[in-house]
Amino acid sequence: MSKLTISQLSKTYPNGVKALDNINIEIDNGMFGLLGPNGAGKSSLMRTLATLQEADTGSAHLDGIDILNQPDELRKVLGYLPQEFGVYPRVTAEQLLDHMAILKGITKKSERKEMVKYLLDKVNLYDKRKKAIKGFSGGMKQRVGIAQALIGSPKLIIVDEPTAGLDPSERNRFYNLLADVGEKVVVILSTHIVDDVRELCTNMAIMNLGEIVFKGAPQTAIEDLSGKVYQKIVKREELDNYAKEYSIISNKMVGGKPLIHVFSESNPGDGFEQVQPNLEDVFFSKINTSNILV
Amino acid sequence: MFKHFFTTELKYTFKQPMIYIFTLLLGLLVFFAVVSDNVTIGGSVGNVFRNAPHIIAVYTGVMTIFGLIIATAFFNNAALRDHQNQFNEILFSTPIKKSGYFFGRFFGALILATIPLLGVFLGILIGSALAPAFGWIEADRFGEFYLSSFVNNYFLMILPNMFFAGAIIFAFANIWKNTVISFVGALAVIVAYIISGTLMSDIENESMAALLDSFGIRTYSFMSKYYTPVEKNTLGLQITPILIYNRLIWFGLGLIILLSSYFSFSFKQKNKKVKAEKNEKAVSRTPFILPKVSINFSSATSWRQFRSFFYINFLSIIKSTTFKILIIFSLLMFISNLAGGFEYFGLQSYPVTYKMLDIISNVSGLFTIIIVVFFSGELIWRDKDNNINEVIDATPHQSFISLIAKVTSLVAVTIVLYAFFVLSAVIYQLGTGYTRIELGLYFSDFFVSYLGYYIIYSMVLVLIHAMVSNKYIGYFISIALIFALDILLLIADIQSNMISLGATPRIIYSDMNSFGPALVSSIWFNFYWISFSLICLFLATMMWKRGTQANFKEKLQLMRKGMPKSFKISFFFVIVIWLGLSSFVFYNTQLLNEYDTSDERELLSVEYEKTFKKYENVDLPKVAAIDYFIDIFPYKRDAIVKAEVTLINSNETAIDSLHFDCNSSWDTEITITGAELVFEDEDFDYRIYKLAKPFMPGDTIQATINTSYITKGFENQVSNTSIVENGTFLNNFQVLPSLGYNENVEISDNNTRKKYDLPEKERMPALEENCGPACDKNYLTGGLSDFIDVETVISTASDQIAIAPGALIKEWEEDGRKYFHYKVDHPSMNFYSFISARFEVAREKWNGVDIEIYYDEKHNVNIPKMTDAVKKSLSYYTENFGPYYHKQCRIIEFPRYSTFAQAFPGTMPYSESFGFIINLEDESENNVIDAVIAHEIAHQYWAHQVIGAEMQGSTMFSEGFSEYSSLMTMKNASNDPMKMREFTKYDHSRYLRGRSNEIEKEMPLYKVENQGYIHYGKGSVILFALQDYIGEENVNKAMRGFLEEYRYKGPPYPTSLDFLTFLEPQVPDSMKYLIDDWFKEITLYDNRMMDATYKKVEEGIYEVNLKIESKKIKADSLGNETFVPINDWIDIGLFVDADESELLFQRRVKIDQENMEFTFVVDTIPAKAAIDPRHLLIDRVFKDNIKSVKEELAQ
Repeated sequence: MSKLTISQLSKTYPNGVKALDNINIEIDNGMFGLLGPNGAGKSSLMRTLATLQEADTGSAHLDGIDILNQPDELRKVLGYLPQEFGVYPRVTAEQLLDHMAILKGITKKSERKEMVKYLLDKVNLYDKRKKAIKGFSGGMKQRVGIAQALIGSPKLIIVDEPTAGLDPSERNRFYNLLADVGEKVVVILSTHIVDDVRELCTNMAIMNLGEIVFKGAPQTAIEDLSGKVYQKIVKREELDNYAKEYSIISNKMVGGKPLIHVFSESNPGDGFEQVQPNLEDVFFSKINTSNILV
Repeated sequence: MFKHFFTTELKYTFKQPMIYIFTLLLGLLVFFAVVSDNVTIGGSVGNVFRNAPHIIAVYTGVMTIFGLIIATAFFNNAALRDHQNQFNEILFSTPIKKSGYFFGRFFGALILATIPLLGVFLGILIGSALAPAFGWIEADRFGEFYLSSFVNNYFLMILPNMFFAGAIIFAFANIWKNTVISFVGALAVIVAYIISGTLMSDIENESMAALLDSFGIRTYSFMSKYYTPVEKNTLGLQITPILIYNRLIWFGLGLIILLSSYFSFSFKQKNKKVKAEKNEKAVSRTPFILPKVSINFSSATSWRQFRSFFYINFLSIIKSTTFKILIIFSLLMFISNLAGGFEYFGLQSYPVTYKMLDIISNVSGLFTIIIVVFFSGELIWRDKDNNINEVIDATPHQSFISLIAKVTSLVAVTIVLYAFFVLSAVIYQLGTGYTRIELGLYFSDFFVSYLGYYIIYSMVLVLIHAMVSNKYIGYFISIALIFALDILLLIADIQSNMISLGATPRIIYSDMNSFGPALVSSIWFNFYWISFSLICLFLATMMWKRGTQANFKEKLQLMRKGMPKSFKISFFFVIVIWLGLSSFVFYNTQLLNEYDTSDERELLSVEYEKTFKKYENVDLPKVAAIDYFIDIFPYKRDAIVKAEVTLINSNETAIDSLHFDCNSSWDTEITITGAELVFEDEDFDYRIYKLAKPFMPGDTIQATINTSYITKGFENQVSNTSIVENGTFLNNFQVLPSLGYNENVEISDNNTRKKYDLPEKERMPALEENCGPACDKNYLTGGLSDFIDVETVISTASDQIAIAPGALIKEWEEDGRKYFHYKVDHPSMNFYSFISARFEVAREKWNGVDIEIYYDEKHNVNIPKMTDAVKKSLSYYTENFGPYYHKQCRIIEFPRYSTFAQAFPGTMPYSESFGFIINLEDESENNVIDAVIAHEIAHQYWAHQVIGAEMQGSTMFSEGFSEYSSLMTMKNASNDPMKMREFTKYDHSRYLRGRSNEIEKEMPLYKVENQGYIHYGKGSVILFALQDYIGEENVNKAMRGFLEEYRYKGPPYPTSLDFLTFLEPQVPDSMKYLIDDWFKEITLYDNRMMDATYKKVEEGIYEVNLKIESKKIKADSLGNETFVPINDWIDIGLFVDADESELLFQRRVKIDQENMEFTFVVDTIPAKAAIDPRHLLIDRVFKDNIKSVKEELAQ
């Protein structure tokens, strides 16, 4: 049973942007989803946890390891897939994974071979192991990235936007993999795709502007909103008026017309109908507090 | 549309700092070259103005090569900016016109590329304004400013060069869309330039090379080859046919490239090949259970990680296109070096391994540095550029491991490159039939000369990239470090190898003496620098930021963060080692073996002159005889000398004190009975001994001089290559102190003298007719001795032979050392060499003379040719000039620390680097061995039997006569007039080139002031022509008469005027003008064949008609030329063949008008017609003397 504890973690960039603003979370084994719009500070948090960035204040511990002060110790138990995973030119999938396995301390050749073979098989790239990765499609590359993150026996796996570029079946396979792994270790999955979190995570946090604006189980969040979300199809030119009168959570186009969700403690009438809230409503309601059209 | 893209290109670039930096950079380089003697661009300025049009042309030419690298940036940007910003798809979908876009960008970049080169002009203008104002350089070193030279250089050099190179780079960029390949395009242009340069090393290909040089630099040097100083000061780059042809060729080629790249350019992206992915088999859902592995982190893990990093890095370099292209280029360079290889008189050396090492060093230097600079940045930034840095950085490896793996892979790549060169060299050696392959030598040369340097630079460049936060800044600093550091040290006059990054003393490999005395020092310096660079690597590790980027300040903060204990201990350990090595190296190179920098040496010369000039005219005795006892310890590099010197007072007054100027690197002890040391200068070791009783005229005194040279530790640069393990070569001036004030120490350059307020100095005392006391000194011993007796007992190591002048009287062994006793057969000049090495000896006897060749066992090929050359020369000279007075004639090989042959009485040391290894298997080629040996043996007459007074003109009858004698020996042997033309061609060229590089003033032959191009070049050409005009026997008769009059006679010594009195009676009246024209004045000819036709009269009778133009030119000492009316005898002739190998017809005609026509009848159709067909006269351009003969068309 591993436990990741983050307390009072803050980081301000030289240009004044607060990337992390007093973050406090505790994460246990299992899949943990980190939701947030672009620029919310997700990647900053992930990099900090992956020992790739310093924090100004605060601390982060994985079990007994002080991440900020013992980066070498953490790296020994870390699997990391960054948002943009690139590869060396002219290096094959097998070579790269072998290299990564060596870096992660698997010194026995036979073990390394077995590990690389197993992972390549798992990400369905065994047939292409002798090909240069540079020529792979985005999805295939991403699968190599996933494989390398799983090498060794990581206790903490951090994956940043892992499903970008994957087609639905690949995505599915990937989630199954993660779910399997996640039973025994801490997996942090950062994404802006709400569905990913809903499908996979038992716990989640929503970040915005460097702060954690929500943490808890997705289901709890949805239940909290229950009965408070209403929707209506409106005319495009009336949008501004609705924005003034209601707290719009989201608007999207349905059949060429805007469909708006609004948050309201009671039924606003005016043609609005109540809907069962979903995680997306939770997400938007948490990050869209200033009531502007998004 | 064109205008829009053109102007936006300019506007965009002018907003970026790059263009200003580059302009400043080139401007500064030129500025320093103008205001400082320490910085030179394309050779030294010489005696022309520092801002002369010629200098501007040279600077511009050289700078366009640098400018090319800059231009690459502009052209590449212009082609790829939209592509790199991924703006292309947006832009190209708008309705813009292809031509406007393409040419707008191209010409915008073209103009931009020429702008940094304007820095050259700025540097010159500002330099010539500031230098006189601040007193850096005297005002009279600057001449008038010619606007035309800027305009010409811009439109004839800069613009066309940038156009051609730009067209290639732009095309490359548009096709491959890859910055690296664009740079490769630029490199291709430079390589082409270098290849055309190696062609030019032989005189035959000069005009071809002038056309083939895309930069026009060699075109200009071809054009200006015969420029006089005046022309250099006023003309510079002019519009000439060859320049126009060159420019048209390259402009045309550039245009073709530009247009074809325009037509192949399309806005549409190339269809990317999309391979349909195979349907992947569905994987059954099985539980995910990672295989069990044992994970451990120990030093073995680090070692395994290092290997993996190394392998990945190494592979990425070896497999990269850039590396492959660099390999191909370096191979091309290598081949072109081989093709042009070792030219000397049109001959090639055998490809001995050290020659191959020299070529490898020429070629690999540039390429390896490019590779180390480029890939050090590449390796550091590769992870980031490929977006894999975060993954790698988050793995549990130590940064030090990853960095040292980068360094190691860089070094490994240099090894691969070197191995590749060795392979090519060995293939070449075997291919030419040369089988003495020395693989071990290739191998050890790598360790000695390269490995350390590459390790050092790899580590330091890694540190640079680790410090900066941008790859290009890293590159900029790396390049600046490599180039600017040396320039700064030069300006600061710092010569210590401890300061100049990676510097070690220069090693010259010699077949005789292997790596020589620099080896030990070089190894210590390598250790010193490697430990220094290890410190850099540790610092780089401390600054190495994993994960997100950091700026320099953050990296410095990072350094304060704790590192593991083992790291700290190793770092401390390395620092201690470095400090230890520093002190040891410092002790040896700065304290134990002090040295003077070039500026210090200059100041010392000034001080010497100012302090001791007052003793210049004190009465000195002469050396009458010397007995030497010399012990050479070659393996310790020590020499201990004892000399019993007999001095005689040949003055008319008594001498009260003796002055000695001792060599301060030798320990000298002088003992004279009844003399007391009254003055000794610490710095210069100038000593004055007061005699107890006056040294009366005609009396003699014995002086015992003990001197020793003891090698201590190692030096910053090897200062003494005369005493070495195998091939010690000393002369008497090095061994013994000189008597009195030594004028040779004085600075001879008048510009430098002016700087130190020293009076102007004449190169040579003026020629005097009927000279009095001035003729009492000869120019070799300066009045300090005449013809003297010398005896030597010399000892050396038991496996060596030691040679001193004269006959070997006795030879014995004692205490494990070998002793030799030599005695000179006939009193000779006080000018000897003492030599010791492990020699093989070839002996032969010729008319009572022992011919002995002392050579290294590896160099035995040409020995029979050498003995033959000795015999040929001796027989011509004894027959034509008189007896040879020594009983032996020795040729002795010495290591290639110098490349010359020199004549001492009866002994002629000859450098291993020429002659011994020249390939003479093809008998039809010029025989340089004959030439050099004949020259040196001629010195046994001209210099050793008769020597001139110390005044103008004397070297005419030592060097000039020897070179003439050598030509005559060969003429006698070959008996082929056209072959002689091949030989004298090099003498003609030597003279004409020499006079255009003259830094003071050209003298007529009879007043030559020890100017090589005059006494060797012009002297031999004129005497050779003279014997053709008045007859060989007549010239030799004059020389013989002169020799007989002065042979082995003490003062007064003869002058060139004395020789002319012997020559004049031999010259018929009709030819008397030649003495004035050729000896007493500077005369040049400009002969041309204007038109040559024949018509058939009947079978076997052809009438040939030649129209010639002939001008005669007189030059003054500054090169000002005036045409004078011609009234001369000149040959006209016809060649049987187009190769000009056989003359069909020749007639000497009187030319008394500039344009004349001659008609005569021959029996076969000639191929070519010529005026002066055998090239006897000094003609500024000889090529136009010859024309193919055409059939005259019927009227």
